Amino acid sequence: MLSAGCGLGGRLQLPEGSAATSAGASVPRTSWASGRKGLNPTAAEGRRGVAGVCVGAPAVGAADSAWLLHTLRQAAMKDSLVLLGRVPAHPDSRCWFLAWNPAGTLLASCGGDRRVRIWGTEGDSWICKSVLSEGHQRTVRKVAWSPCGNYLASASFDATTCIWKKNQDDFECVTTLEGHENEVKSVAWAPSGNLLATCSRDKSVWVWEVDEEDEYECVSVLNSHTQDVKHVVWHPNQELLASASYDDTVKLYREEEDDWVCCATLEGHESTVWSLAFDPSGQRLASCSDDRTVRIWRQYPPGNEQGVACSGSDPSWKCICTLSGFHSRTIYDVAWCQLTGALATACGDDAIRVFEEDPSSDPQQPTFSLTAHLPQAHSQDVNCVAWNPKEPGLLASCSDDGEVAFWKYQRPEGL
Amino acid sequence: MAGSQDMFDAIVMADERFHGEGYQEGYEEGSTLGIIEGRQHGTLHGAKIGSEIGCYQGFAFAWRCLLHTCAAEKDREAAIAAPMNRFALGRLPRVTEGSRDWQGLRSKKMKVLESLIGLIEKFPYDDPTYDKLHEDLDRIRGKFKQLCSLLNVQPDFKISVEGSGLSF
Repeated sequence: MLSAGCGLGGRLQLPEGSAATSAGASVPRTSWASGRKGLNPTAAEGRRGVAGVCVGAPAVGAADSAWLLHTLRQAAMKDSLVLLGRVPAHPDSRCWFLAWNPAGTLLASCGGDRRVRIWGTEGDSWICKSVLSEGHQRTVRKVAWSPCGNYLASASFDATTCIWKKNQDDFECVTTLEGHENEVKSVAWAPSGNLLATCSRDKSVWVWEVDEEDEYECVSVLNSHTQDVKHVVWHPNQELLASASYDDTVKLYREEEDDWVCCATLEGHESTVWSLAFDPSGQRLASCSDDRTVRIWRQYPPGNEQGVACSGSDPSWKCICTLSGFHSRTIYDVAWCQLTGALATACGDDAIRVFEEDPSSDPQQPTFSLTAHLPQAHSQDVNCVAWNPKEPGLLASCSDDGEVAFWKYQRPEGL
Repeated sequence: MAGSQDMFDAIVMADERFHGEGYQEGYEEGSTLGIIEGRQHGTLHGAKIGSEIGCYQGFAFAWRCLLHTCAAEKDREAAIAAPMNRFALGRLPRVTEGSRDWQGLRSKKMKVLESLIGLIEKFPYDDPTYDKLHEDLDRIRGKFKQLCSLLNVQPDFKISVEGSGLSF
């Protein structure tokens, strides 16, 4: 399997007089699809051994210069993502999600063993500082730190969301939020710290408000999606909520007269949207999907100078970039580094990829190049990637194999 | 000449003509049956939605009464307590901490309750072609779930008679 699609569209600094004139050639996308037909994209079992870039001849007989370009690019990317360490976070089960605390000193992981683990550094290695058990009866699917770093929320398949309060190295469950009819798939804190959002397989998104006395109150139940809602994320500086669903859409919500309403629906993905990430400024949103693409969406407020039509006072969202042909399986997570702007993806082909925006590209039609590709980052599906909020280049990932890995990313020279 | 052509046409095209007539008859019969089936389906579906919304409305009315009664009692208690507080603490009369929080929460519950009742009453029951039908129904359901969460009540209604259980 060749990731030929990755390098050919991007730019690579080559010495003068090189024969890379066919740099624009790209491997047609159909060479991917044909290899994947008949496989159930949601089946997690029995897909080991398929991953890995084998540096062999391209699937389609591309020109020699394109091949040269590809090999050089692979060489340049070789050390862009380096393994720092691995920990067996959730032995004998899956590790589903990771979250760094706002200070970047602790990493929370959750898994199929119904536990949440908190990891911290001790010298050069990562050790488990706390284990939060007795909180949930089933798999914990997501964890999220409050903006102040004192609270941790955990969303579980047992239909509840636990709020844990940090007390030095100990965590105590202070509240359990109930109300969803079945598995809670995601939880997210608003940057103001006063609002919390949860979403579930029951197709609804709940918005909760928390006051100074740690009392949680449901302010809205949103039934806009027509299928399982997989992920919720808040805008970094506006009170705007985004949700991704099995119904192939992304929906945005805002508060209007004491109630929350769906103000936009982003259509374009051809399959389940698994995860979302806002860029540091909040002007763009990245979404990743089972259709093996990452889409970048941009917000156009009313009266924008690009002439994009808006209805009423709500901004319009347009898809300004689609990254396709890079991933060979479902993309389960996307993370946008708030420090460097690099985009990392977690894929079902066991690989981790990093993309960076080309600095000279048009902001209305940006191009992203693949700057790191690590096949076999884990031995099974990579479920989550998370950038450290304080240390640029530090990336954590977790997988179905129950392990958490730490990586150092450095943008390669010449890319 | 024209006459003989028509006569041969009648014989030669007989097959197709019968086909066409048969199709017409079948189509009409099918349409009639379809309308009957559609009407039955619509009645059933409408009844289901009606009973669901009716349930929410009854629930909301009942809780409104309960909260009003509860409010009246608490107000009486607060009115009795206030002068004693003033005496004990030497401060200007004001409602005690506990009941102020309760007031805030109660007004939140009442607000959501009234909002739910408003949504239900505004819903156009006699217009099945209303374009925002499903959207409004989802809003009503969402409001109901939020209300249950605030009241700390589990929504699990079941009508035991004749087994026509409601489960949302």
